[in-house]
Amino acid sequence: MHNLNDKELDIDAMPDKKLFSVVPYELEEAERTGFSNYSYWGSVWKNFCKKKSAIVMACVFFALFAFSFIAPVIGRFSYSELVTDNTQIFISPNKTYWFGTDNLGRDFWCQVWYATQTSIKLAFIVAFFECVVGVAIGCLWGYVRELDAFFTELYNLMTNIPNIIYMTLIALMIGQSFAVMCIAMVCFGWMGMARNVRNLVMIYRDREYNLASRCLNTPLLRILSKNIFPYLTSVVILRLALSVPRTIALETTLSYLGLGLDINTPSLGILLRNARSYFVDFPYLLLFPAAIVSIITITFYLIGNAFSDACDPKNHV
Amino acid sequence: MLGYTLKRLLRSLITVFVVVTLVFLLMRMLPTDYYFTEEELLLLTQEQRQDKLMAAGLLDPVHEQLFRFYKNLFLHFDFGTSRRIQSGVPVMQLIASRMGYSIRFGTIALSISLVLGVFLGIMQAKYKDSLWDHVGTAYTIFANAVPALVSYSLILIIGAKYFHLPSMYSIRNKVPSSIMPVICLALSSIAGYMVWIRRYMVDELNKDYLKLAQIKGMSMKDIMLRHVLKNAFVPMAQNIPASFLLTITGSILMERFFGVPGMGPLLAEAIGSYDTNVVQGLVTIYALMSVLGVFLGDALMCLIDPRIRLNTAKEGIR
Repeated sequence: MHNLNDKELDIDAMPDKKLFSVVPYELEEAERTGFSNYSYWGSVWKNFCKKKSAIVMACVFFALFAFSFIAPVIGRFSYSELVTDNTQIFISPNKTYWFGTDNLGRDFWCQVWYATQTSIKLAFIVAFFECVVGVAIGCLWGYVRELDAFFTELYNLMTNIPNIIYMTLIALMIGQSFAVMCIAMVCFGWMGMARNVRNLVMIYRDREYNLASRCLNTPLLRILSKNIFPYLTSVVILRLALSVPRTIALETTLSYLGLGLDINTPSLGILLRNARSYFVDFPYLLLFPAAIVSIITITFYLIGNAFSDACDPKNHV
Repeated sequence: MLGYTLKRLLRSLITVFVVVTLVFLLMRMLPTDYYFTEEELLLLTQEQRQDKLMAAGLLDPVHEQLFRFYKNLFLHFDFGTSRRIQSGVPVMQLIASRMGYSIRFGTIALSISLVLGVFLGIMQAKYKDSLWDHVGTAYTIFANAVPALVSYSLILIIGAKYFHLPSMYSIRNKVPSSIMPVICLALSSIAGYMVWIRRYMVDELNKDYLKLAQIKGMSMKDIMLRHVLKNAFVPMAQNIPASFLLTITGSILMERFFGVPGMGPLLAEAIGSYDTNVVQGLVTIYALMSVLGVFLGDALMCLIDPRIRLNTAKEGIR
């Protein structure tokens, strides 16, 4: 505007062609106002790919996951046909017994891989449902004021009783099996997620755009899912990823205490429990399961952290 | 302030009350056969069993049992006697005999991990991005991600093989056999404190008040100790009383793993052998401790940081 006066003088004298010219399309100029080809998940993916270590970890994890299904097939013994054999006890790893044999003379290779499968399956199922239940309850808890007091009391009540009491009571009253274990872990595992989500929802609930939505009589479910949930993704994903190592750890602890899976479902906790007295003399009984479970939990922990960093819009360009 | 404190205490007590009642009712849902040992089940006739149950007051209507339970609890803090674990011994006596071990192990491990964790965290922040920092981060990741059972087993192997430490706790050989349990307990909490202190200190390095202090001529060391560390300590303070109080409850896994006769395995044992009185005693103590711990934690936080007031602290949710 400021040098308009200088130009004003010659405008009338100029022909149209000189006055108007076609401006070539420039992405940069176009982006300066309004338009942006920013996409949330695109940026997440780009940021995640920047971290080479996270990609490597993800590859290691998936390779191991896939291998846990292949390994029992290529092994020389199948889990369902294992027999106890007193002449074959404590054989160190060799050509026949790739991971050696345990105190009952059973092949350790197929036990370890079968247990790995069980642990991963359990961890994924529990993490997924914990997340679903946790987010659903957390949203309601944070958004609906009337429910706040109720859920807060419920939360305080449930966290006050040690988890081990629930688990023992369930194991004694209902029994021990894979399904029971999953349900029990979900039932008492959603609280952390729900509380986290609740605190976030409280922050976003009374922002102006939500007030506007409420004035326009938008249904509750729509406000929760369209207006609020997108803000929660990075936290939810982090929790989801961290709950995998946590579930595996809880399973090993419970199985070690005899409260987890039943003895016929091999899991890492049960393997370690059986081998407890022989570790010192036969370290391979510990090393193989320990190495596998450590790789799984550590890689997942790192992937989760990297992915939640990538999900945080603050880190997006 | 006083009103708020009282209100909160009252609410906590109500929570404890509900927890205790719930567990009482849950335990009453178990079939009565569980009250006998297998031997007794074989020897006693149906009538003898009924007589025994009657004598113990277990056949009365539930509300009468509950009322009797409340009366003993509130007037004498008495939970009756243990039925299965140590038959005839009062529950409180049984618990007291186990509590010592858990408290000793817990406080030693917690003190070590507080000192070591804070120190290592400061070192990590000070030499950020050095080899030492990376080693520390690797350690914290290991401690956070790997199941405790696995790391305990690794410690057990290393300790037993290379340092010839006893693999089980024994009263005759107290000091050497306590080394590994204490290391196991401290392992993960050291990592927790390390992560927190490091992250807080690194975040704080760009803050304005730090620059001001530098301009005033304070040395970096003084700034770190007097300002940053003190601030980093505030949220930690909230958990410290609870951690110390909860040492009483012991660590189930560690105590089972090394055969320490502490509180941890007692609960699992009590539930496993349907010793209802012991379970109730333990649950009441657990609930009281955790409620009291949160409360003391908030109080300590207010003491350290005068900016925080209890009535504005996150109410209701812990």
